[in-house]
Amino acid sequence: MIEDIKSFSYHVGWRSRGRHPGRHASTQRGMGMEFRGHTTLLSYPDPRRIDIRQTIRDPLEQVYVRLFNQKSATPVYVICDLSGSMNFGAKKRKIKLAAEIAESIAQSARQHHDPFGFIGFDEVVREDWISTSSFKSYRAIAMAEALKDFHPAPVNCNGITEVYRYLPRERSLVFLISDFHIPNTLLEESLSNLLRHHIVPIVLWDSAEYKDLPDFGLTNVSDAETGEQRTLFLRKELREKIIASFEKRRNEIYELFMRFDMPPFYVEGEFDADLLTEYFHQFVAA
Amino acid sequence: MVFSHPWLLWLLPLAILPLLLQRTHAKHYSWVDMLPADSLSDLISLLLKVFAVLTLVFIITGLAAPHTKEQKIERIGVGAQIALVLDRSASMDDPFSGGSSGAGNSTVGETKSVAAARLITDFVKSRQQDMFGMITFSNSAMYVLPLSENKKAIIAAVQATGGNALFQTNIGSGLTSGAGLFDKIPDSGSRALILLSDGAGRMDANTQQKIKDWFDRLHISLYWIVLRQPGGLSIFDTKYVRPEDAALPAEVELNDFFKTLKSPFKAYEAEDPKSLQLAMNDINNREKKPIKYLEKIPGRDYSDFCFVIAALMISLLLGVKYLEVKTWH
Repeated sequence: MIEDIKSFSYHVGWRSRGRHPGRHASTQRGMGMEFRGHTTLLSYPDPRRIDIRQTIRDPLEQVYVRLFNQKSATPVYVICDLSGSMNFGAKKRKIKLAAEIAESIAQSARQHHDPFGFIGFDEVVREDWISTSSFKSYRAIAMAEALKDFHPAPVNCNGITEVYRYLPRERSLVFLISDFHIPNTLLEESLSNLLRHHIVPIVLWDSAEYKDLPDFGLTNVSDAETGEQRTLFLRKELREKIIASFEKRRNEIYELFMRFDMPPFYVEGEFDADLLTEYFHQFVAA
Repeated sequence: MVFSHPWLLWLLPLAILPLLLQRTHAKHYSWVDMLPADSLSDLISLLLKVFAVLTLVFIITGLAAPHTKEQKIERIGVGAQIALVLDRSASMDDPFSGGSSGAGNSTVGETKSVAAARLITDFVKSRQQDMFGMITFSNSAMYVLPLSENKKAIIAAVQATGGNALFQTNIGSGLTSGAGLFDKIPDSGSRALILLSDGAGRMDANTQQKIKDWFDRLHISLYWIVLRQPGGLSIFDTKYVRPEDAALPAEVELNDFFKTLKSPFKAYEAEDPKSLQLAMNDINNREKKPIKYLEKIPGRDYSDFCFVIAALMISLLLGVKYLEVKTWH
């Protein structure tokens, strides 16, 4: 089962402070390949690292060792929106798509030897949908598997403002999966609390929401979160207005994320892990 | 506007149900705020709710059966209020005597009752403005039809006088019942009672007094058409001298009694259909005064109207149902 999950490759553009050996550039001294400088054997008593050339060049005849930075693990988190709007989806519910993406991220984290954690929120942070950071991703994958059949209650997503309390103090790679049907002020407030971390916003939209509307007819819609009712008389004019409204929203959240220097990653319908690899190559300096 | 079942109106609050209940088949949508405002959609949404409410209102109102009350309209017509008091005794089924006018006329063989029915029918038809009532009598009076302006009913009643009958002739009962027809009916100013009989019967003093009083009080003029029996004596026979120590014949006695009435009285004697016709024509000419009467107009029933509107609304809503989107997730 786990082998079937397609992974992607990722990297971070900053130095991890994690002590655990891993794959990412780190600030930790250790058994790495990245030369950092010299110090005396007395302050770093590792005779394997004695630099003879530096030692004989020193007029004070001290013994020098070379210092290296090790590669460290970086915590990877998925923060997943479990609010009512995630229940929407024509072919595949957004929550199921989110679970698939979370599985792929967990699988990738395992392959990169990074610890993986999962945090779900709706109107509060859902303690029952939290998987603490662990190098063993199986638990998180099992939770994501359960998430595929989860039907979110009609609740809003105000919990996003509290999510930062559940993240570690050290900078982590955080995938924020949501449809971002969130008021801008709320989103801005929560993003500013998450600035310590490297955030990758993954925007889940469904084409049935705006592009694949029925051509003509009457329908009643109720909001998945507030239960607000509206009657729509769908026709060409209204469909165009709805598409325009979503395009406007797309620009709006793009601009908002770019102000926080977090390029959004759009997923519509199906998730392709290769595109996420592409994303890291494009937006994150190696 | 009144209701036949007003208690059903207590159900009217049910009509706001469509406003309170949510439509169960609403599609879930991720974020309704994203949908741009659309005035046409809002208008349709409002109309649908209004239609649903109106449908219920009209169904409940229809069930309560609203109708207007019956109305009375005063009408003025020329003509009279005429009570027909017809003899139904068995002798009416005999042919006319035809004694004095010769046996060669064409309607010989027509029975008295059939001829009377035929002529009265013509009479009724010729007097479109009149109100007619009808009493028949043989051994007692039979109430047939109250005073009404329904010509069809009176003609049907006249046609129905044929058939088996009894032998007695209780004129007193017929006359009191006939006078009773005018009781409690506004006086139009022209009231006539046509008594059609063959022969006569005797009345006791009480009945005579009663008839006298009633005819006087109700202002009824009396027309008596006697269909002479073959060989019977004529009431106009002035040469008739009653035998010693024998009572006067019933006809003569009755004629004498009628003459004592304070209200107008006229007697006719008919020996064949022709003379009967003449008598009817004479009455026809005499009774032509304008009369006032109240016409009853039945109340209108509006429940069908309510149901039709409700059905229209339902069909509209069904049409909208047909327009409903079915293909969307």
